[in-house]
Amino acid sequence: MQQKKEPIKNLKIWIVLIILFILSVPWYLPTRSYEPLILGVPYWAWIILGVSLAISIVLTYILKNCLHMADEDESWEEEENQ
Amino acid sequence: MNNLAFSGASGIIIMFFYGFLMLFIGFITYWRNKGLHQSNKEFYLGGGNLSVFVLFFTFFATQYSGNTIVGYAPTAYRMGFFWMQSITFFILIVMGYLLFAPRLYVLSKKFQFITPSDYIQKRFQSKGVTLLASILMLYGLCNFMLEQIIAIGHGVSGLTGGTIPYQAAVVFFVSVMVIYGWLGGMRSVAYTDTMQGIALLVGVVILLIGSMIYFGGLPSAVDYAATVSPEKLGVPDSKGLVSWFSMLILVTIGAAIYPHAIQRIFAAKSEKSLKKSLSWMAWMPFVTSGFVFLVGIIGIQAFPGLSKGESEQLVGMMANHLAMQNSFFYWAMVILFGGIVAAIISTADSVLLTLSSIISKDIYSTHINKNADEQKQILVGKIVGVAFVVILLLIAWYPPATLYRIFILKFELLIQIAPAFILGLYWRRLHRHAVLIGMLAGTILASVMVFAGLQPLGIASGLWGLAVNFALCIVMSFVINVPKQEVELLGKEVS
Repeated sequence: MQQKKEPIKNLKIWIVLIILFILSVPWYLPTRSYEPLILGVPYWAWIILGVSLAISIVLTYILKNCLHMADEDESWEEEENQ
Repeated sequence: MNNLAFSGASGIIIMFFYGFLMLFIGFITYWRNKGLHQSNKEFYLGGGNLSVFVLFFTFFATQYSGNTIVGYAPTAYRMGFFWMQSITFFILIVMGYLLFAPRLYVLSKKFQFITPSDYIQKRFQSKGVTLLASILMLYGLCNFMLEQIIAIGHGVSGLTGGTIPYQAAVVFFVSVMVIYGWLGGMRSVAYTDTMQGIALLVGVVILLIGSMIYFGGLPSAVDYAATVSPEKLGVPDSKGLVSWFSMLILVTIGAAIYPHAIQRIFAAKSEKSLKKSLSWMAWMPFVTSGFVFLVGIIGIQAFPGLSKGESEQLVGMMANHLAMQNSFFYWAMVILFGGIVAAIISTADSVLLTLSSIISKDIYSTHINKNADEQKQILVGKIVGVAFVVILLLIAWYPPATLYRIFILKFELLIQIAPAFILGLYWRRLHRHAVLIGMLAGTILASVMVFAGLQPLGIASGLWGLAVNFALCIVMSFVINVPKQEVELLGKEVS
């Protein structure tokens, strides 16, 4: 049986998520600047998109590796995709 | 507006086709699951047996409504790159789930929860707290439903250039939704959600591709915006940044704590299905709100100078223009058209089902008729649910100007149940009286601020209410002297 893991109890997860959360709003960039970078999209929009991607990656990692609460019989779950 | 592709007979045929497809799914579900009207768990939670694929699409349909297309593209049109926040806040909803869903899932299986109030009653053992939470959820859900009803009308009449009038669209699709929800409960809602989600995704992708081909790509749209309205491209000023943060927090907590979202946690077949569908959800914002955002930006060049009211029809105008190019885009826009309508209905049906479940379980069988069997509880929930829908239809008969304003209103109140979950699941000391007073104070403060139009420091009124709510919960729980026995009882039950 796998050991129980609950994301809320894992401080590291929340430090990473909070840092990314804070970076996901462009407060640290000069107001009104908009130099286009690729496809005409302003440079800061690419930064925000990158941070958003990082949040998705971290969340996927957490859900896959840092969450195990229920002791369920999971052997029958292979046939789930119906 | 005489040459619209979906005006005349074709618009009506498409609308009927989608309506009947949904009814068909409802009937099949009813046919194959005859016993589902006997038990709350079967009717409202699909037997607590939703597998990963269906669970994912029903989560998807709950979070992304037609408003995500019909309302967000115009918002991007008006606000520019500031609206990139719509990608981030949809991702952050998954983070919101991490705050409570893992533990709540385990408890829901152990104690057979049907509604969010079942948890609140189990945790706080207080009729006052449970009733207040149920009323708040009912109110928020009604607002939510109202928004969806208005969106159906706007969406269909916009896409058909007014051939199908607002009111006719609303009545037709709301009737379809009520019928299949009535027949198959959570199962038909989840199965139609799957069909609807696929149509929405395909439609959005083709709309973006089409806009890039026929309205000039993204670079030329951004170039154009830089000359006519450079403020849409720049890093927002401090006021904009504060409202951005405030929106992120509001949606992260508010959308994860939606009563119909919580019910989907209860409906999961296993923890593994729940984890998988949530991790898929973390990626969907890029292809949904992200793509819609780009469509809105392209619209700045395609249809320049629209007023706020006119811009609300942006997606309809773009889709019609694309549909007139060639038969491929015509049929692609047919799918988009269905996808938008389907997305609205799939959000509305989840809301209606949760609304009925709260009426059945938390109001009727708890306060009115304690001896009613489950079949009767379900029947009462369904009938009262339909009555609510009729009232909302009357309110929505003449549509308000924009969608964005009413979208923000429902969060203000729904979010006030958050401390009962986020604190209540982990902190044994959290006392029922503290929760009750916190919830009440938060609700009153948020409502007063909304009505007075107050947003001090640019932070949403719901968040001020929530902050006071959390503070009261914590301070009062320390002040109130809880008998040791009671704390231990609560502790055993929640962890």
